[in-house]
Amino acid sequence: MKRPARRRMPGKGKETLIAWLIMLPGIVLFAFFLWEPLLESMRMSLYHTKNVELLEFVGFDNFISVFNKADFIQALINTFSYTFWSLLIGFLLPIFIAFVIGETARSKGFFRTAAYLPNILPGLAVIILWTAFFSAEKSGVVNILLSKLGIAPKAYLSQAGYVIPIIVLVATWKGAGATALIYMASMAGINPELYEAAALDGAGIFKRVRHIMLPAIFKLGSTLLILQIISIFQIMYEPMVLTRGGPDNASLSLMLLMWRYAFGGSMDFGKASAVAVIITVILLAFTALYSVVNRRKTDWE
Amino acid sequence: MKRHIGSLAILVVLCMLLAACSGNTAGPTVEPTDEPIVTPPAELAAQSDEVVDADLTCTITLGNWPADTAPAAELALFEGYKATMAKQYPNVTLVPSYYSYTLSNYISAAKGGTAPSIFQPPFTDPQLLISQGLAGDVTDALAEFGVLEKFSPAFIELLGDENGRIYGLPREGYVLGMHININLFEEAGLMTEDGLPMYPTTLQELAEYGQIIKQKTGKAGLVFPASETYGGWLYTNIAWNFGAVGENALEVQQEDGRWVCNFTSDAAVAAMEYIKSLRWEYDILNADATTTDWAGAHSALGTGEAAMNFAADDSVDQPTAGKGLPVDKFALVPFPAGPAGAYALTGGTCYMFAPNLTRDQAVALMGYLKIIGKLPFLDDDIVAGMRADYAAKRERGAPVLPPITAWNDEAYNAKKLEIVNEYSNVDMRLYNDFFDSLTDGTISLKGEEPVFAQQLYRELTSIVQRVITREDADVYKGLEQAQQSFQEYLDDEINK
Repeated sequence: MKRPARRRMPGKGKETLIAWLIMLPGIVLFAFFLWEPLLESMRMSLYHTKNVELLEFVGFDNFISVFNKADFIQALINTFSYTFWSLLIGFLLPIFIAFVIGETARSKGFFRTAAYLPNILPGLAVIILWTAFFSAEKSGVVNILLSKLGIAPKAYLSQAGYVIPIIVLVATWKGAGATALIYMASMAGINPELYEAAALDGAGIFKRVRHIMLPAIFKLGSTLLILQIISIFQIMYEPMVLTRGGPDNASLSLMLLMWRYAFGGSMDFGKASAVAVIITVILLAFTALYSVVNRRKTDWE
Repeated sequence: MKRHIGSLAILVVLCMLLAACSGNTAGPTVEPTDEPIVTPPAELAAQSDEVVDADLTCTITLGNWPADTAPAAELALFEGYKATMAKQYPNVTLVPSYYSYTLSNYISAAKGGTAPSIFQPPFTDPQLLISQGLAGDVTDALAEFGVLEKFSPAFIELLGDENGRIYGLPREGYVLGMHININLFEEAGLMTEDGLPMYPTTLQELAEYGQIIKQKTGKAGLVFPASETYGGWLYTNIAWNFGAVGENALEVQQEDGRWVCNFTSDAAVAAMEYIKSLRWEYDILNADATTTDWAGAHSALGTGEAAMNFAADDSVDQPTAGKGLPVDKFALVPFPAGPAGAYALTGGTCYMFAPNLTRDQAVALMGYLKIIGKLPFLDDDIVAGMRADYAAKRERGAPVLPPITAWNDEAYNAKKLEIVNEYSNVDMRLYNDFFDSLTDGTISLKGEEPVFAQQLYRELTSIVQRVITREDADVYKGLEQAQQSFQEYLDDEINK
């Protein structure tokens, strides 16, 4: 049998080369600023370190040491608590904002900008602003407002039960507008004829939301859900500035614990890296779970 | 076109790599200004214009250069120092940098080779930086300038390693006492017939006076910074005064060399019960204690939100010049005594140097330190530098106080005191009890707990936070938990 001669597509090699060259800056940036530090951090977690220098291979000692500390357990529980509150406060809110702005007949641009505005403010400035907002002193805005309702002033940032919901509220205030914009784009893509047909069939607003809008944004919503979990799992600078992880570690997150190991006075980068690897593993597990659930859902559809 | 895109891509990558690999300057550097905003203090005119070393050629980067927002008097002072330096060392390039040390920004700067040649870490960090190899050795330069022999032993311990090498230069000593906002004492009627604040001399009085102030003014009697590690830090001094010293000390080294911690002694528990009572029985603390840091505490005192603050003589300019409290409404008094003693924490502030410092840079820095009046000699340049420093301090409204000297040199110390008296801007009756207590034996001076003090403070801060935020908190149980946790840390790090 005569085998067909392999034919090279004219110019293909050259195009491939150019494609690689175009990608090269991105690849170099990723390699230099993301992949290499990531791998280095994993390697570091297996070593006894002197600041960022590796001294001695210790296997999983850093992990064992970190796991055995009470503050790790506390930080782990807190981080899941952050996630819970974030989903409770922050997941549906952007959908609601997107829906309301989408339904607004006038000044849509204004409301879109207003919703997005907190996102472009510098993160630390926002947190400092909120610190003043929740201050227990007489200048604290929350206490001033509540005093009008006859509620006695309280040190909200010193109450173990309040700190995580407050921090999540602050993070949501800053981030919800951006997520709402994404939902808005998705909602704008829904064929208006579907709504019109439903309206003709007598469907009210709740039925239209339930049967048209929600199914249309379901896939986007599930992707944003996992992204939100990944993002809130890495919460650090909000508790760092608002509460310093206190009171009594009540708002200590895993990321803040990692920061403490590295920069909190012991310069233990080995253990800090171990915490970073643990966070990565947990997030990988979440992502894998999401992929499995998403695939099943897609198959079922 | 395609070829152009490819070439462009390569060019961009090369540019980025070059940009990433270059750069050996420290922090945000200051654009050179042609003209000083205000004339430098006249005192600097006494500094010599003659060339000291024309051959010395190097670049030194000076951290803690005052920002453009600093008081004009301070900016002018540093511009004046810079001008003298340019005359005496014409080939030394001086790069001012706004760099302000924090442990987190320093580690990356030091490892990346961009740390400023000289910076000012807090007193808690020199030993950590030395043990981590992140501090520059200046022993030879100090010896060359004859400075080494004037170090007091406490500073050799603070700034040296076990091989006798030295990595820093003392600025001044400090002793923990209490800052007082006299306005609030006046409002509360706590003044003597002489018009001086009737301040508490014992921890019990502190609680009672604080309560009177809170009731009469509505402001906090005591601002207690209890965030991060501060709460535990202040707790240790209170615990000493309740008797947590000697065999009851918070950290003890046993005969076999093993370090053990003891947070559950009667003294340690009583001290924590005392802090708890300040919140729940006397209610004199600031409401935001768990989120208040060191700067926040000074701010609360300076702006009249609190009447008392545990703080030292080295930070008197923060509530005054920093927050606008006039110097005649501010007092510094001794740390209150407890039922079992009257101790006050002592330590020192210092300059430290970048790890990759060359010999020439070290020599140039000594020259600079001489011009700014920080070397312990009595030559004209140093005296002029000191005078200019105090003149600027007076100008910006910070109290000019006698220093707690870091040097073993009587003539130098006497001269410095003479200059301080010349520029004094305070009623010393508001400070005398503090300074007298250091020499008349009413206060015993004590250094920080010997090992891993920062971790110790962090563990104890958690418990301080717990007892001031939860009325039902079990003090003994909390301290027991902290003890177990810190003992594990000691076993991991030092008892192996």
